[in-house]
Amino acid sequence: MRKLVYILFFTVFATQAQTPMNSTEAMTLKSKVKALATTTKTISSDFVQYKHLDFLDNDIETSGKLAFKAPDLVKWEYVAPFKYSVLFKDETLFINDEGNKSNVDIGSNKMFKQLNKLIISSVKGDMFDEVEFTIEYFHKDQNSLVYFSPRDKKFAKYIQAFHITFNSKGDVIEVKMLEPSQDYTKIVFSNKVLNQTLDNAIFTN
Amino acid sequence: MRYLLISICFIFFGCASFPKKNNFVVTPVTSNINNPYFANPDQDYIYKANIEVYDNAFGGIFIVKKIGDQHHRIVFTTEMGNKLFDFTFNKDDFTVNYILDDLNKKILINVLKKDFKVLITEHLTAEKNYAIADEIIKKTSLDNKTYYYFESPEITKIIRANSHKEKVRFLFTDLNDNIAQQIEIIHSNIKLKINLKSITK
Repeated sequence: MRKLVYILFFTVFATQAQTPMNSTEAMTLKSKVKALATTTKTISSDFVQYKHLDFLDNDIETSGKLAFKAPDLVKWEYVAPFKYSVLFKDETLFINDEGNKSNVDIGSNKMFKQLNKLIISSVKGDMFDEVEFTIEYFHKDQNSLVYFSPRDKKFAKYIQAFHITFNSKGDVIEVKMLEPSQDYTKIVFSNKVLNQTLDNAIFTN
Repeated sequence: MRYLLISICFIFFGCASFPKKNNFVVTPVTSNINNPYFANPDQDYIYKANIEVYDNAFGGIFIVKKIGDQHHRIVFTTEMGNKLFDFTFNKDDFTVNYILDDLNKKILINVLKKDFKVLITEHLTAEKNYAIADEIIKKTSLDNKTYYYFESPEITKIIRANSHKEKVRFLFTDLNDNIAQQIEIIHSNIKLKINLKSITK
């Protein structure tokens, strides 16, 4: 019996950690994030990526740096345990795979174009597009958590939902991309700096 | 006449069996084949992969997990985590759990299935035994194909060959505690090369 009480207590407690927002709170968060996104000219941040596959004992951990410069320059650079970078620039995706360089013309590839747009908007958190996503808002501890589920069935086959966590300033601190299989990729940002001058040399392959 | 002789020579050597052509010396069979490289169910096997296929090169993360006896899961994702394919091998059953539409080609799946089955198959019967220098070579069959396992004494190389010619070569280097830090799979009849570098913790 005592066990049952404990279980009930913990269940209630656990669910309380994540509660839905009311519409006013959701509107407030949305405008806060949008305001921050429009004034964000550059972002530089460290990140740790956790790839979760249900059958593995441990998540696969990779880490690196992110640089963004408005309107559409993005560089993802993995540093450990291998060196690999992708740079989105001039409608082209430049890849540097441990020194082996290649590029993909995004202009001709609809999927890459969409991916590029999504990466930029998820980094800034500005994905509040009701036409493209079903959106749900939650409080999570001191932060806010928003679920963006793609309405496009073809896209939902790759990613069922983006779960983005914002801090109290409306800045993105975590992005989780959920697959239909419930496996996911989680990216946790740290040492994030906004609007610091970023040298163009960073955005070279 | 000289041309005829040369031609005959070529035909003769061309027809020599794979072991003969490579100067393998027949020795008695003493033990079967035991491949330890993906055999530990407590280990997540994670590799950074580079694949060269015809004139395209792309990378990703190659993941192998032993789920149970003769039961493995093999997943390939991009560096950014997007799944490209997800296969299950359970004894003689093979299941495609997921594959990106662009890669969903029967011929490609069959090549990958055949290659990966070699990587994960642990126990095989040695049908013939050979030696060359200080290496032991064991001949075996897997799904009606002939394979030669080179042991010194760890498995360093596996060659799939028809009766005369090499078709696929698997190289295992930097061997450490039953993990091959580097694995190369090189096809000689199609332009396909898979390079795996362990990032297992």
